[in-house]
Amino acid sequence: MIVRVKNLVKRYGELLALDHLSFTVNDGEVFGLLGPNGSGKTTAINCILSLLEYDKGEVEIFGRPMRPDAYDIKREIGIVMQNVAVYNELTVYENIDYFCGLYVEDKKLRKRLVEEAINFVGLKDFKGYYPKKLSGGLLRRLNIACGIAHKPKLIILDEPTVAVDPQSRYKILEGILELNRLGATVIYTSHYMEEVEQICSRIMIIDKGRAIATGTKDELKAMITLGEKITVESQHITPGQLNRLRALPHVMEAEYKNKQLVIKSGKGANNLEAVLDFIKKEKIQYGKIYSELPTLNDVFLEITGKQLRD
Amino acid sequence: MFTHIFCNRLKCLLRDKENIFWTMVFPVLLAIFFYLALSNIQQGEVFQSIKIAVVDNAEYQKAEHLKTALNEAATGKSKLFDLTHAAREEAEQLLEQDKVAAYLFVEGGRPKLAVKKSGIRQSIVKSFLDSYQQTAASVNSILKNKPRDPQQLLNSIGDRRQYVVEVSGTAAEPDSVLIYFYSLIAMACFYGGFLGMREITDIEANISPLAARINVSPVHKLKAFLSSMSASVLIHLAEMFILLLFLRYVLRVDFGSKSVYVVITTITGSLTGLSFGAFISALVKKSEGIKIAILVGGTMTGSFLSGMMYLEMKYIVSQHVPLLAYINPVNLLTDAFYSLYYYDTMSRYLLNIGILGFFIVFFCACTYFIIRRRKYASL
Repeated sequence: MIVRVKNLVKRYGELLALDHLSFTVNDGEVFGLLGPNGSGKTTAINCILSLLEYDKGEVEIFGRPMRPDAYDIKREIGIVMQNVAVYNELTVYENIDYFCGLYVEDKKLRKRLVEEAINFVGLKDFKGYYPKKLSGGLLRRLNIACGIAHKPKLIILDEPTVAVDPQSRYKILEGILELNRLGATVIYTSHYMEEVEQICSRIMIIDKGRAIATGTKDELKAMITLGEKITVESQHITPGQLNRLRALPHVMEAEYKNKQLVIKSGKGANNLEAVLDFIKKEKIQYGKIYSELPTLNDVFLEITGKQLRD
Repeated sequence: MFTHIFCNRLKCLLRDKENIFWTMVFPVLLAIFFYLALSNIQQGEVFQSIKIAVVDNAEYQKAEHLKTALNEAATGKSKLFDLTHAAREEAEQLLEQDKVAAYLFVEGGRPKLAVKKSGIRQSIVKSFLDSYQQTAASVNSILKNKPRDPQQLLNSIGDRRQYVVEVSGTAAEPDSVLIYFYSLIAMACFYGGFLGMREITDIEANISPLAARINVSPVHKLKAFLSSMSASVLIHLAEMFILLLFLRYVLRVDFGSKSVYVVITTITGSLTGLSFGAFISALVKKSEGIKIAILVGGTMTGSFLSGMMYLEMKYIVSQHVPLLAYINPVNLLTDAFYSLYYYDTMSRYLLNIGILGFFIVFFCACTYFIIRRRKYASL
């Protein structure tokens, strides 16, 4: 076990930011912390890193209690903060070298690590650039390079893709998977469910400082009753037809809005077939028809009653 | 680790153009401005002879003693009067046209003064005339009542005996312009506060993400702070020495003969400025803009009260609120420089440096107690 968080409680005055949060991160995992803005993801990370005081709870990293002066533990951790944290007066190379130098004193080794980090994030052509000259995406990549250049065993990335263009986002996500393949355990926080689904081997959904569900994405989806969402584009549906549709087996919900009929059905086979039979029988004219499996947003919606991006 | 942080910090500070401008270029520009604006002040204070006219008529020709006294006052290198002999109408005209400050004439055997307006020059002429008349009256009275040795009396008319002995505490000439330059150096020392402020911003995780990154690294927070602060101290001392050399060798500002003490004072001032900036930054839990406003406002107020914008203010504060003069570090620094230049003894200088030393210890101790915590209540 790489990280163990037990009953973590953090209050900001009256506000309960972390409510007895507990989780573990295993060796070699890409562990995702998914939750809307203000759900407590960054607070949890800052408590784990011993930057923030907390009211109650325990944090262990590599099996040892985490404290501000636990330098041997810190040496094995790489952090990529939510906000870009680099020196504007240092070039790309100098920034990475500076932060790597806080972990690695051997100059020769450091030089090699810095070069590797630059190649890894694709900033080879921008070595001599000052951060102000970099685009948002390149700046994020620099931010990542500064956090991972010393080859840590545990990498914590706090929303590293905020305000990043799709190309850089793809590059960043691919990079995280590559780091994981090279042996690093990763904790990844985000409010983008697609990213978490794409790269995380295990996910914890967090809301109002509480862990509301933890598991692989399939395990999480299995926790809810929704099995399939079928959308039918149709010019006209009568209220009678809608009521008859709702009466079909496995149909949990059916709504007709903006010329779109959305049917949410429970787990079970042949949901789509049953809907198609119904359309034929009722002689409903339709354009497109498609079926979607539940997303993490549906998991969040069913558990909390609100959208992930509310 | 110290060298790694120190060298990178030096790079950062030297490449921070805004910082270099405020801590080095701006004081140099202000010094040039002071030099251009103030270089004629002392020249303007050199006494200029007063232009007066005397009505040269028969009565004046009869007043032998007055003629002698006026001629004496109108001759020599530092003569009191620039004398013009003229007829009454001509003298009237010269006065009317402001070509002379006053004119003298003799009427009924007594010298009289005609002026168009009152002023310093007119008062000097009147004092001269009053003094002449008092002396003439005394001589006449002594000659009339006790004429023992008239020749000795006449010989000693011009003697003035001093009954108060003036003991000077200095061999230096008073120089009010120097106060401006000393205040400028003090202000530049306190602009070092910008560097101190930045050091705190970059080490306190609840102020900047950069500091958070340093705090999660395996480096002791105070070790990182001291390594980084050492670079700031070095940069600021270098900037201050450049300013001193510029003032001394380009603008020819006289720092007196105690050069070593001038350097010590500058180092003390620089450390006070740096520690003051760090203290303000650690103490004020507001945005960077507000901190800068407090630092600049504090420095400028201190400079104003020490006489940088209005020289008399220094004396007003010393006279009416002496405590303020002792708790204003800018004034202490200005005063330390002036003490070095003006006084032969070191007591006043040492008092100023001692109080500044106390301020440095106070600011550093408070900063340490504020930043020593390693976990934050909020970020």
